[in-house]
Amino acid sequence: MAEPTEDIQIKVAANAAEQFVESYYRTINNPQQRSKLTSFYIKPTPTLPLQADITLNGNTISDPSELQSFFENQVAQTNYEVGSFDCQVINTNYNVGVREGQLAPDKDGKKMSILVMISGGVRYWKKEGVESETRGFTENVVLVPNWEAQGPKAAKGEKKWVIQSQNFRLVL
Amino acid sequence: MQRVSAPPRGPRSGGPTARGGGRGGIQKRTAGPRPVKVDKDGDLDMDAGVGAAGRGKSGKGRFESPVPSGPKGAVRGRAAGPARGGSTRATQHAIERGLRGEQVNVREGRLTTPGTTLQVEGLMSSKAASNSDGGLQSLEGFLERKASGRDSKSNRTVKIKKSHLRGDLVIITASQEDIEAMLKLDQFSFAGATLTIKPHEPAPPPRKEISEKTEGISPGTAEIKDKLKAILASRYDVDLKLLNLSSLGQDAGLLEMGLGSLDGKTTSKLFPALMVVCDSLFDSWKAKQEAIVSVTLAGNGLSNVTNVTALAQTFPDLKNLDLSGNNIAEIKGLESWRWKFRHLENLVLTGNPLETQTPNYNIEILKWYPKLLTLNGVQVRTPEQVAAATESINSPIPISGPDFRDVGQVGENFVRQFLPLYDSDRTALLSAFYDAQSCFSMSINMSAPRDRTHGSPIPPWAIYLPHSRNLTKINNINARMSRQYRGIDQIQKVWTDLPATRHPDISTQADKYLIECHPQPGLADPSGQSPHGVDGLLLIIHGEFEEEINSSDKGSRGFSRTFILGPGTPGGPPIRVVSDMMILRANSPLAVPSHPLNPTQSSMPAPGVSPEQHQETVTKQLVEKTGMTPEYAMLCLMETGWDLNKAFVAFNVNKVIPYGLLVQPVY
Repeated sequence: MAEPTEDIQIKVAANAAEQFVESYYRTINNPQQRSKLTSFYIKPTPTLPLQADITLNGNTISDPSELQSFFENQVAQTNYEVGSFDCQVINTNYNVGVREGQLAPDKDGKKMSILVMISGGVRYWKKEGVESETRGFTENVVLVPNWEAQGPKAAKGEKKWVIQSQNFRLVL
Repeated sequence: MQRVSAPPRGPRSGGPTARGGGRGGIQKRTAGPRPVKVDKDGDLDMDAGVGAAGRGKSGKGRFESPVPSGPKGAVRGRAAGPARGGSTRATQHAIERGLRGEQVNVREGRLTTPGTTLQVEGLMSSKAASNSDGGLQSLEGFLERKASGRDSKSNRTVKIKKSHLRGDLVIITASQEDIEAMLKLDQFSFAGATLTIKPHEPAPPPRKEISEKTEGISPGTAEIKDKLKAILASRYDVDLKLLNLSSLGQDAGLLEMGLGSLDGKTTSKLFPALMVVCDSLFDSWKAKQEAIVSVTLAGNGLSNVTNVTALAQTFPDLKNLDLSGNNIAEIKGLESWRWKFRHLENLVLTGNPLETQTPNYNIEILKWYPKLLTLNGVQVRTPEQVAAATESINSPIPISGPDFRDVGQVGENFVRQFLPLYDSDRTALLSAFYDAQSCFSMSINMSAPRDRTHGSPIPPWAIYLPHSRNLTKINNINARMSRQYRGIDQIQKVWTDLPATRHPDISTQADKYLIECHPQPGLADPSGQSPHGVDGLLLIIHGEFEEEINSSDKGSRGFSRTFILGPGTPGGPPIRVVSDMMILRANSPLAVPSHPLNPTQSSMPAPGVSPEQHQETVTKQLVEKTGMTPEYAMLCLMETGWDLNKAFVAFNVNKVIPYGLLVQPVY
């Protein structure tokens, strides 16, 4: 199999980034949806016990469920607004966790790792009425294929791309 | 995540480092296991302290002392001087209306100079209308940004002086020049709505006879105003920055004017009129804020604050307020100030029936005023507590120092070389770190929020726009392709187009940066030997730079720049940039850690946990983080006194671990 062409790379990566930016912040902004946050991250499996690498404001978070329960329990409301984002393909043939025999590149760009960089503003409400000023943030996310969503037995609605690493920083 | 103590920094589910042994990782190319210079948090210790330890400045939690810094052009001086032109007449109208019992609207009174106001329609139908302030602040920010960026030749920043809502319209006051700039934004779209922006025609004066009097005001009104000015002047203490409005009922001057008392039994015009006069004495909000930090309303027989509520509009930033010796019996009497005085630090309520009739009123008051330090002369909070609380509202995620998980100093060395070379010799930089596969792109976030006190003008964006790959705006696939630059030649071409920059010196101005990095698995192996890929580093620099477009256009910008660094192609530079992505924004100081030192991961046993249990827990944690066998993890921990952080650092430094000691290969 051949490497994906440049235009396929860019299309697929931009779509993945767009979808991520749209759905991730919508999920985090909606307290009722926050129970779905962990679905955005890679899941460690016996063959690939790798956890997503998450750092928020310099604090390392050991696993996505910790992040989810933090947002579920400690933040009344958030309003993340994305001002700009950009993405690049890091590796056209990302093979972490891929079995021998399936190491060849995918011409449709399904095996890429993608760096997404987001800049925006965020406001937090700790409880009703107590609201922060708008602060600026930069977020970097590396998206990798969700291998589970690619098999024939994959559940419907599984995310095609999941977070392998995430670094969030308030910059204002 | 814990709220108070931050999670461990340094120790991690180590993916890449854990399997460092065999694969072509980035560390393979460094000569042997060099000790990584880290502090106990696992932060990279750059000389001047990029790490949290070097950040002394907090900015938050400093409270301006109410002690005056010396006399400033204050009320007393002004009161004696001649009446100023401009807003005077409008103010007099306002006073007159106030005295007649019509609604006093100070701001409006100032808003009627033609050519300096405009009206904006459309906010109500925008998404911002659901903001707590109706979207006003967000609209202001939008107009200022857009209007500032319009004229690429000038560096001028458009500044809105005042804005308020009137029905569906937003009325905005600014200098004539700025108003003209903003009028050009007519039909711009804002938060999903189209704005209609027109010059504002002031409402006709409420009384016909006033508008007919072209030569000023009836002598009666002017006289009243002068008297009030004189009374205010005698009650102002310039050294204490205190406006003493106590016992107004006994003020001979006021009694003579017959303006009534404030006790709350009748509605009084006195106080609104006083406030209007106060407001007219200052050129700017800031001047007023600086001149008066304390007000006493003691001994006025107030049973509630209804008659004096205008104080909150005129002096919203007061730090000290004395309401002692009044007749306030219930907390309800203060209710109209529930959301006012957001900077109040010192409140005196002694000598009110409240003290005996409403037990625990103090608890309620503490809730109302989150910055209150002293109530009735007793300290109720420390400035540190206030700062911590404010910070936790502003960011529920604690702000810690940089998470800098370097591998063999690759990240540190890169940053030290990259920043000066990008300023001085981009060609040399390209040949040192970039190759045919390196990818560069940049995007602009023009709507990035900005610290409102940070008023330096934003240099025009025009020069960056043709390159901006902000995917919220660039939707066309061709543009998306052409704005991503691959290989030295393409990147060099763009970098030649981009303005010259000067980044702050990392060794002397480390506080201007926040730099983080962590290992990044699964990069393509340029040598082709590792089909599963090799490890690299994801490195992020947040900071600012000075830029010079030409000799007249200078300014500073905020940026974040993310790199993926990986091992280079055989024969080429040892480390290469795989990805280089930059986001530009208006410059504002970076959010700095709220704690001067990072709370270190507590390796102390929690109360009620036996040492054995603790040892078991940390062993488990280390196994999880490193992939070592429990035996080896315990060995590591025993050598480091059961300190998880130290053990992990030791693990990282002595990465040479026999394969058998790993639980299992990670891939």
